[in-house]
Amino acid sequence: MAIFNLKKREIECKIVYYGPGRCGKTTNLESIFKTYQKQITGEMVSINTEGDRTLFFDFLPLGLGKIRGCEIRAQLYTVPGQVRYSSTRKLVLRGVDGIIFVADSFKVRREKNMLSLKDLQKNLKEYGINILKIPLVMQYNKRDLAEEGLPLMSLEMMERDLNRQLKVPSFSASAITGDGVGETLQGCMKLTLEFLQKQLKWAE
Amino acid sequence: MNIAKQIKGLIQEAEIYSSQGLYIEAKGKYENAAGLFQKNKQLENSDNMLSVISKRISALGQKIKSLNGTGANHEISMKAQNLIKQLFSFSSEEHEEAAKLEGAIALAKFGQFERALKEFFELLRHDTVRVVAAKNILRCHVALSSLDAAVAQFQKWLTSDFFNSSELKRIRLFLQDMIDKKELNITLPEIRSDDKGSNQLHEKDDPDNVLDISSIGIIFDSGPRKGSIIEYDVSFQSGNMISLIISSKEKEWVDSLSIGHKLEDVQYYSPIAMFKGSGLVSSKTEIKSGPKRGDYCLDIKIISM
Repeated sequence: MAIFNLKKREIECKIVYYGPGRCGKTTNLESIFKTYQKQITGEMVSINTEGDRTLFFDFLPLGLGKIRGCEIRAQLYTVPGQVRYSSTRKLVLRGVDGIIFVADSFKVRREKNMLSLKDLQKNLKEYGINILKIPLVMQYNKRDLAEEGLPLMSLEMMERDLNRQLKVPSFSASAITGDGVGETLQGCMKLTLEFLQKQLKWAE
Repeated sequence: MNIAKQIKGLIQEAEIYSSQGLYIEAKGKYENAAGLFQKNKQLENSDNMLSVISKRISALGQKIKSLNGTGANHEISMKAQNLIKQLFSFSSEEHEEAAKLEGAIALAKFGQFERALKEFFELLRHDTVRVVAAKNILRCHVALSSLDAAVAQFQKWLTSDFFNSSELKRIRLFLQDMIDKKELNITLPEIRSDDKGSNQLHEKDDPDNVLDISSIGIIFDSGPRKGSIIEYDVSFQSGNMISLIISSKEKEWVDSLSIGHKLEDVQYYSPIAMFKGSGLVSSKTEIKSGPKRGDYCLDIKIISM
């Protein structure tokens, strides 16, 4: 749940990058860390990784400046993608305000994407949150690999698989090159702030 | 498609998956390529290629096995633990104990049981969260060692009078439930309201009735100094709670005292007489500033006198 300090006119919200293992959640954060140095308000912390696999979570605090007289801060988190870290994912999701679902474009990861989205829905439900109502955007990652002739799913196929019911904004991206990373975050922040505005009426 | 090209494509794909950390998918592609080689033995260099692919399949199998065996339960740095505590405490500043409890629970959930135990023991001092903290201490003991350790901790509390009978009943119920779920043939002793000795100070007793204590003598019950006595002036007393300032030279001894540790043999000196009794370590804090910097403030709850 976002922290709204009425006196200081500050809002701090929590954005979680969710998705199957190896889909590029940490790479998204690394890309943001490199690209948005001015907005970074602390260091990027990766808590417990095995090689380049996240076992706990990554954390990156961002300052997004003033919007309608209110200082906006965001805390970005990633969850561990591997199936067996379900309880950790649930813990990281607690108090979430906005979600970026990072889907892997590889054809061989099609089922993993769908299982991860189902896992997200289940974990949110356990916190009493309806996946259809929380600010959520889709990111179809690793699009750059199409140039290497690798079998990727088409964007249409990914939309059908993952976004047919949700109908949330979606972005194609390549976290490794940085393409689409900023747009995805902006899209999620826009939805999240609109949502918080309805709840907290902070901009009135 | 030409078989050689097909195999080449599969191997390239496998290499990319492997470089992306998608080991299961990489292994699958190598296996497909190996299958094609086996069906087409006439292909140039097929035996050598099969041998190379087999080695890669085996190496990927090892990687998958090692990843599956990796636990997220090893201890992480103090800095990372502090961040977990900070990020996963959701209660507001007005509910300090609740926030500390959430932080400690998060540490336990992230497998940081040693640190979590310390935090839970600290929380035993706070009435509002002490039972929840106690239950989590038992959980941590189970996670760190065994159910026996949790039972031993419960027995310690049972004899220490740190909890009142109502609290002990709740803790007992929780632990018995854990035992029953594991289908072990252990029955914890029932808690009765009159379990405590008549000469002991009860929670309901008026702490103002406790005599003024000017100094105390603690008799070491273990270690190389077992049997010897160490005396301290009481720096502050509030009811049955007394505070002592312990020199930093006694760090080793202070470190050996955990919150909730029962001091079995204590001499309480009042202006009129000396009483023998027992006490309970309620808190210990290192003094961070001022002339006593580096020394410790030890709070002891008088249990009996």
